[in-house]
Amino acid sequence: MSTIVQVSGLSKTYGSVRAVDDVSFTLEENKITGLLGRNGAGKSTLMSLLTGQEFATRGDIRVFGASPVENASVLQKICFIKESQRYPEDFVVKHVFASAPWFFANWDADFAAQLIDEFRLPTDRRVKKLSRGQLSAVGIIVGLASRAPLTFFDEPYLGLDAVARQLFYDRLLEDYAEHPRTVVLSTHLIDEVSMLLEHVLLIDDGRIVIDDDAENLRNSATTVVGTRAAVDSFVAGHEVLHRESIGGLASVTVGTLDAQDRAAAAAAGLELSPVSLQQLIIRKTGTTTREFEQSA
Amino acid sequence: MTTTTAPIDRSAGGEELRRIVNVARLHLTNRFSLLVLPWIILGIIFAANLVIWWLIRTVAGDAAMQDAGEGMQFSGASSFIFVYMMVVAVQAMNATFPFALGYGVTRRDFYLGSGLVFIVLSALYALGLTVLNVVERATNGWGLGGRMFDVVYFSTENAVTQFVQFFLVLLFFFFVGAATASVYVRWKSIGMIFFFAALSFIVLAAIAVITLSESWGNVGQWFVTNGPLGVALWLLVPTLLSAIAGFFLLRKATPRT
Repeated sequence: MSTIVQVSGLSKTYGSVRAVDDVSFTLEENKITGLLGRNGAGKSTLMSLLTGQEFATRGDIRVFGASPVENASVLQKICFIKESQRYPEDFVVKHVFASAPWFFANWDADFAAQLIDEFRLPTDRRVKKLSRGQLSAVGIIVGLASRAPLTFFDEPYLGLDAVARQLFYDRLLEDYAEHPRTVVLSTHLIDEVSMLLEHVLLIDDGRIVIDDDAENLRNSATTVVGTRAAVDSFVAGHEVLHRESIGGLASVTVGTLDAQDRAAAAAAGLELSPVSLQQLIIRKTGTTTREFEQSA
Repeated sequence: MTTTTAPIDRSAGGEELRRIVNVARLHLTNRFSLLVLPWIILGIIFAANLVIWWLIRTVAGDAAMQDAGEGMQFSGASSFIFVYMMVVAVQAMNATFPFALGYGVTRRDFYLGSGLVFIVLSALYALGLTVLNVVERATNGWGLGGRMFDVVYFSTENAVTQFVQFFLVLLFFFFVGAATASVYVRWKSIGMIFFFAALSFIVLAAIAVITLSESWGNVGQWFVTNGPLGVALWLLVPTLLSAIAGFFLLRKATPRT
């Protein structure tokens, strides 16, 4: 696997606000990476920096081996339709898709037409008159049909209903399988997209908190449920991420368990269950579930 | 889906030009608002003018119409086109710029492509206005003695110089609009406040200097000496300064919402 994005010591400050704070990571070619984090964590700023739309305060960004800032040969391979994307004043929806092929070498007009149909997008409507969900659909269709070697989806599902969101996930996976490319997907609907993700970057307060394989992450925590005494004696010596108890029962989330641990747990009559990516991320960012859902 | 024209040559030499031309095409995606609507508006204003001229002539007679025709040189009925093009430039910088960046366009290519569109549109509209101007003269004001395209600041006898004047004035409005909008894109409302404060200060200072030194006569003389074409040529100075300023402002601008 070759590295497509290399970021080291990257910071972006607005006045006294550190939107991105000394961040270093790499992105592998042809993977789907989830850029996760709460609102205001720095997801959009990070993507704007990677696409040369914002200028870094400090640090180094290499995309396809070079700085993306004002670099046509790099930017030609990137598609980034923001969640808050502005469109030309007088644009009707069909103008977006008419102009896209001039900028994306791999643009697939048939695929775009199919998606327009599936998302039931009114092509003769002014972009300004679209609902939030329809606007999201425009961004999704551009992102998918452009087949850019590096595609960013910034909160692509806002205002979309469950059916349309599932359609997006399905088409993304299908098309990605046929035309492998590097995709970065920022979202806070973590459980919904967790099946799509191969790699996870969790950003919190401008810093990268998790940079790991999605598979590793899914195995990195387990919830142990049982009587309080049994649970307490079992988890002693393990990293405890979270603890809840009701009466004589306890539910404790611990780090990675090996086969021996699992056998011991079974012998002690404890119940083991995997922790969802969303739960894990909530534990890692030290927020309560309620807080996290409110931020979504 | 609208029809798309054949893809432009992708050879290495034409690569940069291709990118710039594609930005120009992006501006012209919606041809109606840039190439059709202004002429429709102009047609409506012209039709209204025709009715008024006919009324004056019918009610007050030829002599009164001749008199009114002189006065109409100052009416500015066709001047909306200049303001319209300024708004086009402002919207290009303000809304099309962040969109183009999402399409992976560099700021440099965006600005050069936009400039190309401004020049092409200026030539196109200058040509149209010149033709209307020539017809207006040849038909003695559309047979009614009316004047809409043969106006005071553009009065030259030669169709070529007429075209050059329209062209230069259109360029001025395009690039001043683009530069002003670039200040906004770069520094948002704070930038606008400082920009217009500075502009007001400069204009007031100029007026004060001219008034105190009792030079208004010289200013008037300058316009007379240079003539309409000379003044239009002098407009190239602020036009070029705006074009250069716009380029450097936009190259450091970020599309924040």
